[in-house]
Amino acid sequence: MDSRLRGNDSGVVFKRVKIMLTIKNLHAEIQDEKQNAKKILRGFNLTINPGEVHAIMGPNGSGKSTLANVLAGREGYEITAGDVQFADKDLLSLSPEERAAHGLFLAFQYPVEIPGVNNMYFLKAALNSIRKTRGLNPLDAMEFIQTIKTKIKEVGLDEAFLNRAVNEGFSGGEKKRNEILQMLMLEPRLAILDETDSGLDIDALQTVAKGVNSLRSKDRSMIVVTHYQRLLDYIVPDVVHVMVAGQIIKSGGKELALELEAKGYGWLEGQTAL
Amino acid sequence: MSIVEPTSTWFEQGFAEQNAKQDWLRALQNNAAEVFSQRGLPSRREEAWKYTDTTFLAQKNYKMSAVMPANNPIAEYQLQQADCIMMVFINGHYMESLSQIDLLPNSVTLCSLKDALDSSELKAILSQTVDAQRYPFAVLNTALLQDGLFLSIPKNTVLKTPIHFLYLNTETSGFAAHSRNIIKIDEQSQVTILEEHVGQQADDYFTNVQTDIYAGRGAQVDYHKIQNESKSAVHIAQTFIYQQQDSQVNLTSLSDGARLARDDIYLRLSEQGASVSLKGFYALNQDDQHCDYHIHADHLAAYTMSEMHYKGILDKKSQAVFNGKVYVAADAQKIQSNQSNHNLLLSTQAQVATKPELEIYADDVKCAHGATVGQLDKDALFYLQSRGIDEKTALQILNRAFAADVLDKVKHPAIARQFQRLLTQEFGDENEFC
Repeated sequence: MDSRLRGNDSGVVFKRVKIMLTIKNLHAEIQDEKQNAKKILRGFNLTINPGEVHAIMGPNGSGKSTLANVLAGREGYEITAGDVQFADKDLLSLSPEERAAHGLFLAFQYPVEIPGVNNMYFLKAALNSIRKTRGLNPLDAMEFIQTIKTKIKEVGLDEAFLNRAVNEGFSGGEKKRNEILQMLMLEPRLAILDETDSGLDIDALQTVAKGVNSLRSKDRSMIVVTHYQRLLDYIVPDVVHVMVAGQIIKSGGKELALELEAKGYGWLEGQTAL
Repeated sequence: MSIVEPTSTWFEQGFAEQNAKQDWLRALQNNAAEVFSQRGLPSRREEAWKYTDTTFLAQKNYKMSAVMPANNPIAEYQLQQADCIMMVFINGHYMESLSQIDLLPNSVTLCSLKDALDSSELKAILSQTVDAQRYPFAVLNTALLQDGLFLSIPKNTVLKTPIHFLYLNTETSGFAAHSRNIIKIDEQSQVTILEEHVGQQADDYFTNVQTDIYAGRGAQVDYHKIQNESKSAVHIAQTFIYQQQDSQVNLTSLSDGARLARDDIYLRLSEQGASVSLKGFYALNQDDQHCDYHIHADHLAAYTMSEMHYKGILDKKSQAVFNGKVYVAADAQKIQSNQSNHNLLLSTQAQVATKPELEIYADDVKCAHGATVGQLDKDALFYLQSRGIDEKTALQILNRAFAADVLDKVKHPAIARQFQRLLTQEFGDENEFC
């Protein structure tokens, strides 16, 4: 095998960092239909070390998806205060593509259908863009095809999906598997899974979790955003946070998720951040 | 209503220089000139020209184009890696020395229109009257007819080698070329054709081309048109397609050039089982660029089928017009027609006027139509960027993807490559990052 591929398949090797992600006092708002500012994140704090998996749970409307989108750089959010350091970089000053090249990956809650863009072509363009930004040569066609054929098996999708348009006409489960396939190909150092479990049956959930777990390593961190404890049976987190009204109000070990499953979120509401 | 007359010098010059040898043709041209002068250039007061102004042509002092020396390199326009029969025109004049017709079967007639003027068949076709109100530029085309080509394929002939008509416009401004292509495909015959108009420099000239296609019983015609004129030129085209029983015509077009482009397409489905499929894509990226497709399909017999799918991407202050009309005669039952027009606006100043129309007198038909005008899908853009693809490349990928299905019906690989080359010019290379 080519020396470029040693260690990991994408050949993108990141420098080790002491702290993966630090979010300090992050405030973000959006404009609603009436052009009124609506505060979503209200002083969000989080620190993630390399190798850790953090689950963020919380009721509807607590700001979980906003957090994921703000971290990935989606337009339409006004950051009114706060600071985010991602692997020694000022995350908020980077474009979405720079964040990706720097090793951030968002698995979308609602993956976008892109008619006319071939799935394999898309993955290759993505991987080679990231490689280019990091000063690496493009992966040659053979290496790429071998790698992707191995990875697509891991997520339980048929190879035929590679020749279809990105997500077009995919079922909910197929879209989520395709997200995980992209993650396996791009090998990020921080993966954010935004409700990846929604719309998945038990078999798909296990396959997806297996894919995610195969990426777990001491240099890679993950944020798992979910409503339900179920996913955390398969992707076991190091830390569980409860997010309510734009901030974390409680953090604990994996047993916190079980407690939430039993009691709901009601007992925590009214508490403020520690 | 006042009539905008073209300057009379158009016609004086035309006749002085054309001076057709055939009496019947001189008479025909005189008559057409008269009819056109009375009718005048179409103005925006006419419904069919509401969004496209041509009256400025009256101020233009276009001269008949002169014959150019045959020293233009045409290699870059040839179909790559494929056998081809090629007819080359420079500024509307047929260039025998640049054309290649070695692969033409003996049974097939292909020659310049001038060389075919003694044929009675051609005389009959040229002498057909055209509705001057609806197709004024067809009348002008006859009045000032310069050259063009005549293709006649006898029955039961499958022509595997594609025929490429290259209309190259070069090295001079201020000329008009009125060309006519007459194509007859007899029963059960098949042909693949590419009509390509190229402007080599940023010249201001006027192309007025008319193509008449007669598809006999069971004939199959794959027709392609690439319009890549100079961005200062005016391109006006009439394509009239007459179809007999069970004939199938596919017309795929890509429109990229010209300051003003107007394509009038008339489809006459006069016998059962005739089927036509139009697919077009236009890319406009200049402030004053204007492109107009007017299509009229006459379903005159039962079990006929028409499809028209047009798409465009518009940038800056460009404008596009789509008007597709499907007419279904009273006894034309069980017909199917489908038309769509989708537009992507890249700037807030680009404009589209889109109007699919139906006029149906039969009661058992299936007709669908739809039109959209939209902006770029921001979610798709973010999705690509979030995977590491820079914004510029992501835009190229999305625009190209929007355009790509124009290629759906282009079966011949070398012609597909010709289309792809133009799309690459416009939106970047598909394989650049692969």
